[in-house]
Amino acid sequence: MVIDLKRCIGCYGCQLSCKAEHGTPPGVFFARLLKHEEGKYPSVRQMFLPVLCNHCTDAPCVDVCPTEASHYCEGGIVDIDHDKCVGCRACMMACPYNNRYFNAERNWYFGDAGPTPYELARSARHDTGVVMKCNFCTPRLAEGKLPACVANCPTTARTFGDLDDPNSTVSRLIKDRGGFTLHPEAGTSPNVYYLAP
Amino acid sequence: MSSQRYDQLIADMRSDYRPQREWGEGKGILLVVGHFLVGVAGGTWVMSSLYHVTVGLAVAFVLGALGALVHLAFLGKPMRAFKMIRHFRTSWISRGFVGLSLFLVGSGGCLAIGFLGLGGPWLVLALCAQGLAAVGTVIIIGYMGFCYTASKGIPFWHSPLHPALYIAYAFRGGIAALLVISAATGVVPGDGLLQLWLGITVLVCLFFGLELYGAVTGGNQAARRSVHDILAGRLALLFYGGTLALGLLVPVLLIALPSAISATTMALIGLASAAGDFFVKLSTVRAGVYLPLRRIPQTAG
Repeated sequence: MVIDLKRCIGCYGCQLSCKAEHGTPPGVFFARLLKHEEGKYPSVRQMFLPVLCNHCTDAPCVDVCPTEASHYCEGGIVDIDHDKCVGCRACMMACPYNNRYFNAERNWYFGDAGPTPYELARSARHDTGVVMKCNFCTPRLAEGKLPACVANCPTTARTFGDLDDPNSTVSRLIKDRGGFTLHPEAGTSPNVYYLAP
Repeated sequence: MSSQRYDQLIADMRSDYRPQREWGEGKGILLVVGHFLVGVAGGTWVMSSLYHVTVGLAVAFVLGALGALVHLAFLGKPMRAFKMIRHFRTSWISRGFVGLSLFLVGSGGCLAIGFLGLGGPWLVLALCAQGLAAVGTVIIIGYMGFCYTASKGIPFWHSPLHPALYIAYAFRGGIAALLVISAATGVVPGDGLLQLWLGITVLVCLFFGLELYGAVTGGNQAARRSVHDILAGRLALLFYGGTLALGLLVPVLLIALPSAISATTMALIGLASAAGDFFVKLSTVRAGVYLPLRRIPQTAG
């Protein structure tokens, strides 16, 4: 995936569409947006950094997982098999991008009022006592659709494609505009690239 | 998720240095307790074997079993724990699970054969059990440090000194347990136990000092933040009160007393030393903060 920070307007569309797609419980954000200000008055600008699982080629979360719950899928996507996860949370400590969440207990957005029908429908997917994270919307990919955050970005800041294909749009964007990754020094070979603002 | 926990998570996500809270806070404290108990169990097995203290071997087994139970209680899905054997090739948690299993089977077998006074062919089995216990001990003493070192997301833990430090803690814990056992049974295994405690304590202080120095001089901003949190931040009370005062100053003062060391004094030294080890582990775990994510190059390339 390539995220063009020049196009990102910090609308939280990716975060919301991800929530809507996966119905993740409170406190779990597969995709999220970091905002911060840079510079000093009067030369101040707001910076946006959308973050998600980087689906690293050398993912430390896969190495430390004792049960092989964290694993590589076809196409290099890193996913979690929730039936294997024991909830040791070692993967959360190993991820340099802190994009994994532990779903400790079943909970709802409206507390004592109980789950909304939407939450109830979506919550069946999510087991408690296990770690959760972005899987690039694997079920959507299987249907030939784009990940929800990519499909719903109003400024088309996100591009999804095959990084192994040198002629793909993502490869060309990275080559032409000098794509960079977060924390390359961690040696994890992340597969989410950013284009400078 | 309670409202308080949710608010805490959102506040953490907004902060530049997001602290890890899964290991060391709430139910996560069970992991620290588990690591502490298993480390002391390994150290106690080694020291009791060296000094031929049978009660110590039994105590090591009980501590190991307790540690295993506490580890299980920490897991989100404890009934699936047996699956942790799968990834022995790269996962230190998996190796720790195997090591602890070997230790419990081996030490339990050794103790059972010794307790029942079995002879003849059982001695061969006892030898095998001793071998299993020895292999298990080596693994459980070492694996915890490597678990932390493998955590690339927490720069302060991602240090090659961490395993050495945890091995030293295990021996210090073993000596502390032996001091308490000596006081309780009235059998002092040897003259050199306190000197050995002092020697290992110096080693622990040296390793810990080097780790902090390394994090401050060679570490990144997150590692430096962790050191700040321990020495002058949110964990300072735990570190100065629990680790330095209780775990170091109290035992050293007790040893330095002009009068002869009594059984009560020995027990106090052991307990204070063990408490200090627990607090230093807790401080180190709680000091873990994630790498900040906000470093964006301003231009392409």
